Amino acid sequence: MQEAVRLSMEEPAQGYQLRVVREVLLALLAKEASHGYQLRARLQLALGPLAEALNAGHVYVTLTRLEKAGLVTSERVGQADRPDRKVYELTAAGRARVTDWLEDTSWPKPAPAEFHLKLVAAAAAGLADPVRLVDAQRHALLAGLAVAQRAALAEPDGSIAGLLLEGVVLRLQADLRWLEACARYWNATKGRS
Amino acid sequence: MSRALLVFRLASRDLRRRPVEAVLLLLAITGATTVLTLGLVLHGVTKGPYESTREATAGPDVVANVISEPTERERAERRPPATPVDSAGLEALTDAPGVVNHSGPYPLVLASVGANGHTAEAQVQGRDATPALVDQPKLTEGRWVRDGGAVFEAAFATAIGVGAGDSITLNGRSFQVVGVAVSAALAPYPVVSCLSFCSQSGVVWLTRGDALSLTPRRRAAGLILNLKLANPAAAPAFAAARNPKGPGQGAPPGSTQPTLLAWQDVREESADLVRNQAEVLRTGGWLLVLLALASVAVLVGGRMADQTRRVGLLKAVGGTPSVVAAVLLAEYVVVALIAAAVGLAAGWLAAPLLIDPSAGLVGRAGAPALTISTVGLVTAVTFGVAVAATVVPAVRAARTSTVLALADSARAPRRTPWLIALSARLPVPLLLGLRVAARRPRRIVLATASIAITVSGIVAALAAHLDLAADVVDPSSPLDITKADRFNEVLPVITITLAALAAVNAIFITWATALDARHSSALARALGATPQQVSAGLSAAQVLPALVGAILGIPGGIALFAAVGDSMTVPPLWQLLAVVAGTVLVAAALTAIPARIGGRRSVAEILQSELA
Amino acid sequence: MNANESLPRVGPVLRTSGLEKEYGHGEGLVRAVDAVELEVASGETLAVMGPSGCGKSTLLHLLGGLERPTAGEVWLAGRRIDELSEKALARLRRHAIGFVFQAFHLMDELTAAENVELPALLAGRSPRAARRRAAELLEEVGLTDRKEHLPSALSGGQRQRVAIARALSNDPLVVLADEPTGNLDSAATLDVLRLLESLRSTGQTLLIVTHDARIAATADRLISMRDGTFVEETRLTHGPTGRLAELAGLER
Repeated sequence: MQEAVRLSMEEPAQGYQLRVVREVLLALLAKEASHGYQLRARLQLALGPLAEALNAGHVYVTLTRLEKAGLVTSERVGQADRPDRKVYELTAAGRARVTDWLEDTSWPKPAPAEFHLKLVAAAAAGLADPVRLVDAQRHALLAGLAVAQRAALAEPDGSIAGLLLEGVVLRLQADLRWLEACARYWNATKGRS
Repeated sequence: MSRALLVFRLASRDLRRRPVEAVLLLLAITGATTVLTLGLVLHGVTKGPYESTREATAGPDVVANVISEPTERERAERRPPATPVDSAGLEALTDAPGVVNHSGPYPLVLASVGANGHTAEAQVQGRDATPALVDQPKLTEGRWVRDGGAVFEAAFATAIGVGAGDSITLNGRSFQVVGVAVSAALAPYPVVSCLSFCSQSGVVWLTRGDALSLTPRRRAAGLILNLKLANPAAAPAFAAARNPKGPGQGAPPGSTQPTLLAWQDVREESADLVRNQAEVLRTGGWLLVLLALASVAVLVGGRMADQTRRVGLLKAVGGTPSVVAAVLLAEYVVVALIAAAVGLAAGWLAAPLLIDPSAGLVGRAGAPALTISTVGLVTAVTFGVAVAATVVPAVRAARTSTVLALADSARAPRRTPWLIALSARLPVPLLLGLRVAARRPRRIVLATASIAITVSGIVAALAAHLDLAADVVDPSSPLDITKADRFNEVLPVITITLAALAAVNAIFITWATALDARHSSALARALGATPQQVSAGLSAAQVLPALVGAILGIPGGIALFAAVGDSMTVPPLWQLLAVVAGTVLVAAALTAIPARIGGRRSVAEILQSELA
Repeated sequence: MNANESLPRVGPVLRTSGLEKEYGHGEGLVRAVDAVELEVASGETLAVMGPSGCGKSTLLHLLGGLERPTAGEVWLAGRRIDELSEKALARLRRHAIGFVFQAFHLMDELTAAENVELPALLAGRSPRAARRRAAELLEEVGLTDRKEHLPSALSGGQRQRVAIARALSNDPLVVLADEPTGNLDSAATLDVLRLLESLRSTGQTLLIVTHDARIAATADRLISMRDGTFVEETRLTHGPTGRLAELAGLER
């Protein structure tokens, strides 16, 4: 009951969206079936202060869409003194989608949140070693850096296009530095567990 | 006060951190101070004993004698002179102005002594049983003369191996040795006593009657008179005024004019034997001091690189340049003073070993005096060595800017463009060696100097040996043999000490060089030099200065001997070449060891550690 | 005799098999390099990246004969080098291997030209030939006007360029570079970067150990190393320009 009220009161007028929220939720479900609120809590934990910027109902809406797309199934579970809650479970198609997403090394512009969540989800679900994911992503970025750098060096001094290319290079460099930090973190976590 | 305490604490802590170096420093300086002390102590060793002998025996101020010179024929036939000796000239002396007392004239007879199967020449004096007022020999054994009893001079007795109670023969007649005594009238055996005749005969005392009975016609060959003057210091003048040509030149045969000898000359002669030793030791001692100076400079130079950062720290926490210099100096001065004390003690204790037990003087063995002046001189010298070696680096370190000192760039290696260009033309080991040497020119100079000093000492010793061999005219002469023996005791001591100190120096310089060159050696190996080439280079960096030093040491040694020994003697060429070759070989051998050890660590390790 | 001529130019320039290096013993045993299999083709530039302590510098030292492996083999141009004597290794380094170090390791008391000619002199070439080659190389790296300067008068980037010139002195089969830009600021890194690119284009075989992404990006092939083993490998050349558009933010 309260859940429904909350939903209607917090109609999304503003709020950021997460492009890969579908994939993240699917990945989180890979380990075990969960309630909607549990998934939301995990997401909030992984995003920290950024979670507040997210649209509140985003998770539930996405789960509905995923069910419609046949990537998850839901089941109503009766509770003694509360309204019924849905439990979501991954389908085979959903699992295939998760695997594709983990292997995808395309790199969107503002990177951190999505890749970060990928690592979190992979670690939580035990689907892949986050360190290996980082390595793979690093190499992909370095390949990109190689292309950009060669193009930048090939430009004559003072070329305006060279400035653009230098920008690409420097951003990639920055991303790579963060990826190294990710590797250090997840490597240490692995050591601790 | 607190500053002095701080300086002391910093200095002592630093010494404790590097015990091996402190010990090496101590050894280097102690070697020098010991030998120097020996030399200084021995120099004064006979002055005291002679004077106590003089006092104990009421020694004469002037000894006069007159002899009847045998004719050619008498000499050829070994017969005593026919003409009786004339005592008129001697008698006249007893009334000469300035003479307050006298004893004698006593008859003098030359005799040959038979004892223990040996024969020796003796000059026999006929004496009274009652003690004389002047020159009454002091007994060290037995009793004074009686009929049939002979008293031997102590050194002579030891030389031929007789003591109280032994039976001997004099000119074939048997006597018993009743006593052994010392006298200040004539120098102890086997010193040449030159009066009217120079004899290397020992003194024996008999009763007048016994002495005269040794000659066929109861006629003395000469007469000896002991005089006491009112002013003992005037004895040389007294003697010179009355001598025909000076003592030992000999009055004409049969002349009544006596030959006189002052007591100061006797004292000089007594010291004759030991004087050479003292001379050698003193010269050797100064050489060792110089060598010790070089050693200290090397050690200090090697430490300075380490010190530079400490200096920077001291200055950064507020130490003034004077404090900084004081700390640096304090370490070396402390070690030097300890070395001085040890050297003084060692030299004092070792001195009796070098003094012949049969010096024939009272109170000579066991306790040569360590005078204030000796102590002062040795201490001053040691102090001077420490200061001289440390003052330049200490001042330089103190004046270095703090930043530079902390960054430790104050000891950047020197660059010598022409040497670098030259080394490029040489084979790889020499290329590496020359460049290593050129980085620290001061150290190379010190290495060369220390070898030059050592070789100078050895060459001077060889020259002295040659000189002595030439001097020894009569190989059977006991005096010459004893002189040679004494010399031979002392020369090896000096030579070995010099060589040992130089060896220690060489090892240390090589070690310091190898450490210093560690980075460039590792780099050379990374760039393609074999370990053999690198260690050959390090060896060359030491052997070449050793060669130059050895070559310089030859004229140095000849000049040294000429200055000290008053004669220009040049040892034979083969000996000189042997010294140079030996020095080079030893240098190569000594330097090969640390150079080899340096090659064990892997190149990567060294390059990594040089970053730290 | 130029040792290069006796070594074959076909096949991989460098090859390792089961390479291992251990330090310490018992509780303190550290495996710096763990069963590494590596092949570097002639003319290839290979970059090895990894966090500090992952063993990449040790690997480089093993490849250059500066350290001996605990186990495994190292082959240089078809010749096994891990069991050679120190003397033979030195000769090898003279002719076949050039080194570039993070700390430059130039001799402080020698000018740039004297530093560069040193390997040639060690190899026994005449002083004149060595000096000529040094002048050539210094021109290649763009430091002709600084030929007679001491290292203390050169910037970090210039010093490293002198070191690179020195590594090329004897026309080596492979240049091994250990964190060549580790001690350099970004401007100097750029200079070295350009130099490495131009070296690549001359066909010089290069093996660069680095944690700088830009330097790694100059390689043909990139290997990531962790805890002594290789974990990831990628070919970096021939990237499509479409990629570039994507990276620059253009959307399809």
